[in-house]
Amino acid sequence: MKRKKMPYFMPLLLIMLSLNACGDQRVLEDLGLIQTVSYDLLPSGQLDISVSIPQADPETSSDREVLSAAANSSKEAKMIMSRKTGMLLVSGQIRNVLFGESLARSGLKGHLDALIRDPSISSQIKISVVDGNAGELLRDNYEQHPRTGRYIDMLLEKESQGQTIPKVTLFNFQRDYFDEGVDPIAPMIRKQDSSFITTNGIALFRDDKHVARIEPKDSLVFAFLKGKFREGEISIDLTAPGASKEVVMFSSITSSRKIKVAPGTDGAKKIKIEVDITGSVLEYLGDLKLSNERERRLLEDKVSHYISKRADTIVSLMKEHKLDNLGIGRYVRNRVGFKQWQQMKWREEIPKLEIECSIHVKIKDYGKFR
Amino acid sequence: MGKWKERLKSIFIEEDPLTSINDSEKDSETDSPNTLQSVEQQPLTLQHILDQFDDSADFVHNAYLGDRMHVMYFSHLVNEDRLERDCLPPLIQSENPLKHLEAQSMYKPVSAPKQCVEGILSGMAAIIFDHHAFLLDVIYPASRTVAESETETVIIGPHEAFTEQAYTNLSLIRKRVQSSHLKVIKLAVGEVTKSDVYVLYIKDIANPKFTKDVIKRIQDVEIDAIHDTNMLIQCIDDHPRSVFSQFLTTERPDTIASKLVSGRIVCLMDGSPTAFSAPSSFFEFFSSSDDYYQRWSIGTATLLLRFQALIITLVLTALYVSVTSFHYEMIPENLILTLTESRSKVPFPPIFEALLMETTIELLREAGARLPTKIGQTIGIVGGIVIGQAAVQAGLTSNILIIAVASSAIASFVIPNYVMSASFRLLRFLLIILAGLWGNLGLAIGMAWIVIHLSGLTSIGTSYLSPVAPFEPYDWRDVFLRMPFSMLGRRPSQARSKNKVKLKMRR
Repeated sequence: MKRKKMPYFMPLLLIMLSLNACGDQRVLEDLGLIQTVSYDLLPSGQLDISVSIPQADPETSSDREVLSAAANSSKEAKMIMSRKTGMLLVSGQIRNVLFGESLARSGLKGHLDALIRDPSISSQIKISVVDGNAGELLRDNYEQHPRTGRYIDMLLEKESQGQTIPKVTLFNFQRDYFDEGVDPIAPMIRKQDSSFITTNGIALFRDDKHVARIEPKDSLVFAFLKGKFREGEISIDLTAPGASKEVVMFSSITSSRKIKVAPGTDGAKKIKIEVDITGSVLEYLGDLKLSNERERRLLEDKVSHYISKRADTIVSLMKEHKLDNLGIGRYVRNRVGFKQWQQMKWREEIPKLEIECSIHVKIKDYGKFR
Repeated sequence: MGKWKERLKSIFIEEDPLTSINDSEKDSETDSPNTLQSVEQQPLTLQHILDQFDDSADFVHNAYLGDRMHVMYFSHLVNEDRLERDCLPPLIQSENPLKHLEAQSMYKPVSAPKQCVEGILSGMAAIIFDHHAFLLDVIYPASRTVAESETETVIIGPHEAFTEQAYTNLSLIRKRVQSSHLKVIKLAVGEVTKSDVYVLYIKDIANPKFTKDVIKRIQDVEIDAIHDTNMLIQCIDDHPRSVFSQFLTTERPDTIASKLVSGRIVCLMDGSPTAFSAPSSFFEFFSSSDDYYQRWSIGTATLLLRFQALIITLVLTALYVSVTSFHYEMIPENLILTLTESRSKVPFPPIFEALLMETTIELLREAGARLPTKIGQTIGIVGGIVIGQAAVQAGLTSNILIIAVASSAIASFVIPNYVMSASFRLLRFLLIILAGLWGNLGLAIGMAWIVIHLSGLTSIGTSYLSPVAPFEPYDWRDVFLRMPFSMLGRRPSQARSKNKVKLKMRR
């Protein structure tokens, strides 16, 4: 009875042996694992693509290999680059994609397509826009940070935890891009004095085109408006003109946001963004006495007022460029119903919207100093 | 096949020391396979018995009372001291020895020569007075004393283990299960060796169907010799071609007692220090009696650790192979450089590298198991250096692989049952080869095959994967967890006991 089973095994064994070595074997040490890619637009219309590959071979002195190519598409560039290296270039370990500002301004649509379509590329790779030339930033070596790709990755990761830049992965970006009623954003980075890379605010996109930028000092205010988060830090200069210096620094910020839409006859009439912020005061230079409840309330109001003002400038910037990076459109869409939403030209509506930002700051803790 | 057997017989039978038995087998082939049949057909005389034991240097034959009384025995099987001091003097001095023999109950009269020969073989002394034969039970065989288990040690709990002496083993069990319901059935296996096999069960707890089945299977075994329980179970299990042992073997009397009480049937064999229980489930092999002697939370944690060990020992090296040769995407960013760096000097593809190291580990393990303890230590040191350091420095393997191979070796020793851990060590090689050929797909195929195979197995007709399939959630609290005793109220469903509830304690 059992003996019948033997013939099943033999063909299986034959298939196993015959299929050996064909297929897609990728032995680790033969691979050039692309860690970071940068895309730039050349004046000729071609793409300037650079990749950074960490070097693991202990016999070479360099920590990484950088390859560049000018080509019409990213996959073509990969082929050109692969002619220059002994390793098989693979994109399964890409962690960062850097887009040069020139390219970001002309639209990222096709390049995103190439990234999403390749199944070996993770949807968790980080997207950022470089203020200036992305290839140059990637090709440069920064003395104190031997592997530039890794330096950028760690910088973005750490900064996004503190909310000074948003964490934008390929998934986030494409979802915002394809979703109706929200426009994508991406963190911006910039080379500073040829020895550092620094984050440089937030790039605001209209569909796939980068059009405006939020300054680094306002990026946390943008985060307040964008959604809820825990853990963040903000330093606020409340010094009124002519008065003595007053600076307050908040830490351990917890923030939550609500968007309320009051519908009008032909769409949304009034949008109210309510933000509740609680945080600990870690540093305060000023005349108010924080242990006094009344004076503490005064400071809370001052800070709320300050943040509201900054929020208003962000909102007006977006109105000016007809942007909706906060995703207000999604709330409007839910409020008015999809049918009306489809009839509405949302982008044209944005400048006409009445948006009110109401910010409530609460000091939950002000330290041991009374 | 038949021709071959005949030819083999004709070659070997000439020099066979068992010629007489073989001859007698030929004579009686038609009636029964019993090799000693011929003896029975003859009347019991001294000469016949002496004929049976010609060429037996250890056979003792003494004549007393002017050739009227003959005492025969194997010197190493009987307590000669007792025989010479307590039994023979009163017999020789008595006026009517025959009356003395008949009066005393310790002298068992026998009439059939077969019975007499078997008695002598089992270690009794035969006394022939004129034409009356008696057997005297003065069995005192050489055996080692009850010692600590070498293969199944526990930290706390009883340290006794079975010995090669079935009577000792039975006494160890009786001591633990002091109930008249504990029944022992004696059987014999091995056409030549006639080893005693004892089937134990607790009446009213064990399912009589299983008991009957086990007894029938043991009776049906036709093999010339069986030397150990582990050999016996391969002759009686449901799927002899499987890599998995379908009966749990143990040398711990406390484990056996718990199996009996849970409604399982236990078998002991004379000459083997292991007993087996039936029916067994796959998951029983991962439980140790230690789990029950420790607090329940610690027992549960240990139990879960063992299942982790199972996964590690099966998959870890294979996963290394499949990841390094196919799925570089899976490796975390921080690990990939270390991994590439350690692989960069290795001249072999990952599958070859892994098979090389796994074979080395298996060689070491086998060498350690066979060598005397004193030399065994040297193997440990040499192996440790070869595997741990030199292989990496020589660029033969990557050190990450060493970690994978070593931890899967360690994990394989965490599995309490050696037979089961050996099965998994073998399957590991299968998975490594599949992973080297097809990557994670191969790994998945291999794992699926193992699961399919396991779910097809049975142990005396019950599902081997019980209580997972058939799904018995109540049993999970004993199999995957070790809940407090108050929550383990039922006997395992696999035993199909009529007497399901085992405790009514509410605490």
